[in-house]
Amino acid sequence: MKSRRHELRAALGFLLPNLLGFLTFTAGPVLFSLVVSFSNWHLHRTIPFQWIWSGNFLALLRDPQFIMYSLNTIYLMLGLPLAVAGSLALAILLSQRLRGIVVYRTLFYLPTFTAGVALMLLWKALYNPEFGAFNAVINRALDLAHADQLVRSLGGAGVSAPTWLLSTKNLWGLEAEYVRVGPGQWGLGARDALIIMGVWIAIGGNNMLLYLAGVANIPTELVEAAQLDGAGRWAIFRNVTWPQLAPTTFFIVVMSCIGGLQGGFEQARVMTQGGPAGTTTTIAYYIYTKAFEEFQIGYAAALSWILFSAIFVITMINWRLGSKELSY
Amino acid sequence: MRAFFVAAFGALMLLSLVAWRIEPRSPAGKTPLVWVSDDNPARRGQIALFNKLHPEYDLRLDPGSGMEKVILQCLAGVGPDLFDAYGPSQLDSYVRSGAAWDVTDELAKRGIDQAREVWPAALATTVRDGRVYAFPTNIAVDAIWINKDLFDAAGDPYPKGPWTWDAFLRVAQRLTLRDDRGRIKQFGFLCDWWYWPQFVMQWGGRIYSPDGARCVVDSPEAIAAVQFMHDLMYKYHVMPTPVDEASMATQGGWGSGTISYFGTGRGAMAMGGRWWLCTLRDYGRLNLGVVESPYAKRRILRSYTRATLVNRYSPRREQALDFLVYEAGKAYNDLINRQADAVAAVIRYNYTPEFLHNPEHPEEDYNEVWREVVKYGRPDDWSPFINGQTATRILDKQMDLVKNDQKPVPEALRDAARLVNEEIAKTLDMDPSLRLKYYRLTGRERPE
Repeated sequence: MKSRRHELRAALGFLLPNLLGFLTFTAGPVLFSLVVSFSNWHLHRTIPFQWIWSGNFLALLRDPQFIMYSLNTIYLMLGLPLAVAGSLALAILLSQRLRGIVVYRTLFYLPTFTAGVALMLLWKALYNPEFGAFNAVINRALDLAHADQLVRSLGGAGVSAPTWLLSTKNLWGLEAEYVRVGPGQWGLGARDALIIMGVWIAIGGNNMLLYLAGVANIPTELVEAAQLDGAGRWAIFRNVTWPQLAPTTFFIVVMSCIGGLQGGFEQARVMTQGGPAGTTTTIAYYIYTKAFEEFQIGYAAALSWILFSAIFVITMINWRLGSKELSY
Repeated sequence: MRAFFVAAFGALMLLSLVAWRIEPRSPAGKTPLVWVSDDNPARRGQIALFNKLHPEYDLRLDPGSGMEKVILQCLAGVGPDLFDAYGPSQLDSYVRSGAAWDVTDELAKRGIDQAREVWPAALATTVRDGRVYAFPTNIAVDAIWINKDLFDAAGDPYPKGPWTWDAFLRVAQRLTLRDDRGRIKQFGFLCDWWYWPQFVMQWGGRIYSPDGARCVVDSPEAIAAVQFMHDLMYKYHVMPTPVDEASMATQGGWGSGTISYFGTGRGAMAMGGRWWLCTLRDYGRLNLGVVESPYAKRRILRSYTRATLVNRYSPRREQALDFLVYEAGKAYNDLINRQADAVAAVIRYNYTPEFLHNPEHPEEDYNEVWREVVKYGRPDDWSPFINGQTATRILDKQMDLVKNDQKPVPEALRDAARLVNEEIAKTLDMDPSLRLKYYRLTGRERPE
């Protein structure tokens, strides 16, 4: 009994520094933000502090910006399936027993440990409408295909390379200000540019590492048994690899959804400042704007809790649906 | 394993000690002061002069902090001693957040009477409700820079002011040159889109009503002004569109963008301030001239001022006041004029032979124009009834759509005015003191 108590004291001693840090810098501020979300706290001292309880949350429901920026956040998450599929494909390729495979793995992982801001500046240059690498290729292809003349001869308005980060156009044809499809809004614009960049960064990132570990853990006897049964590569992938990777995929999807809902701040800050016309402003960037540019701390806290609730609900749905599919 | 952890701990302690030892500190006996301002290269000279004149201080620049960061730092008790406000709306935010120290009496004790000494247009960024919170560091009113070599190449005479936008447009069209493929290789005019308030003023419009109670940016005059600016890009093709600008994009940093486009000869004329010289002087043999900006219905030019405030919560705020006194003095104002960091805020220091003819830059024979245009300067409209950042977000979004040719000007400005007025109503709901002020001013409880 005495030795158990001694062990407990020792364990607490080791845990205490971390626990204190967690309580002071994580749990405390999180609870504080919940309390603040029920107030009108504003950094302008002329606005007296008041408890407004559900006031911020009700105002959010009537805030058209909140709805638009939620839509932007969801739009930017459209790249997640591509990123997950790409990571899986890459992991399978990189799990082959080839000479120098470690070098390839390192190269593909490079974007993950390169500074995000540096990567984004590089991509900003790639998206330059006149001199960027993307439009250089697109313009050349359009020239070779005589696409512009062809479209004009058919009575169209011509065709040109996208202006990427400067354009409010998007693949769904959504308007910049309202939740509706608008004429002339169809095309490639800033939102799509951020999706493409996000997919590129995510493919070779941590997801690829998780899949690599998952592939390495698939029992070789299962693959050998399938081969003996005459299964081809696709059949092995569909019936052995993919089911065996289900827990990894589940984890990646859950984490990607959480990251996607919380994301968009860095890109908006570095590449677009949330523009053009707010089309790359996500909820995370809106929280920053409300708190630290417009000083509406209470409102920003309520926004954060709405975001947290959305993430929590979506994760629970993922969990419910995903865990049913997991047999091991 | 234990040895490894002990070694790692020891190494980290050692590195911490080294970092602590090499941390820059003020020399013994000197009072450190931190000034948040922009990263204009001229700032180093201004700091060096202050430190030379006041050996008891060690003034340093913190170039990376925006207004929001400064306010949060000040309220948390770790703010800088001095910081700059860029325009009336920023001053308002600093005052309303409580970060700004009311220096009315302190400056009066030191014999400084701003209302008498500085350009009137600068006072909007230093005085709020009759109380003084800042001293202007300089004042800028923009004019048209001309690249004389490009005029000479086109055989066009240099323009002379005062002149109208119609006359300007003809010159800009002649100086816009295309290559064999029809692509523009030289623009007649370069102008940042954020100059739109000057066009609105000149066309007789306003952003807010004179009492600041309503946003009136949807008036026919304001619509005509922004339409003209839009037409410079999309109808007359004398000014780069956002796509053209992106194509000309250069590296970032202070003084990049339009200044570097102009400095590299991609535009014959450009709207800009005297402070552009802080960058343009580095471009070498540019043959420059300056002419007053054209006017429309009214000969008004937009002025903007940077002004230094003292952090109310700074433990060294009394000492920080010496910097404001320095900004009011001859040494600082002469330096501003020599550096061409806009124009000195104290009027009398601009009426010196050295202002007109800087011996280090005899080619700059146009300084009289800079002094003249300040007389026509008017600060931006602002409203005390809305957070400046919120208004900027709304206006920028609509202007973004106009700039990118994705929304007609009248529709965008009508939406901008409606949204800003809605936001004014929300602010009044939140702030009882503003509500009372609004009622006293207009007899109404909220905008119509």
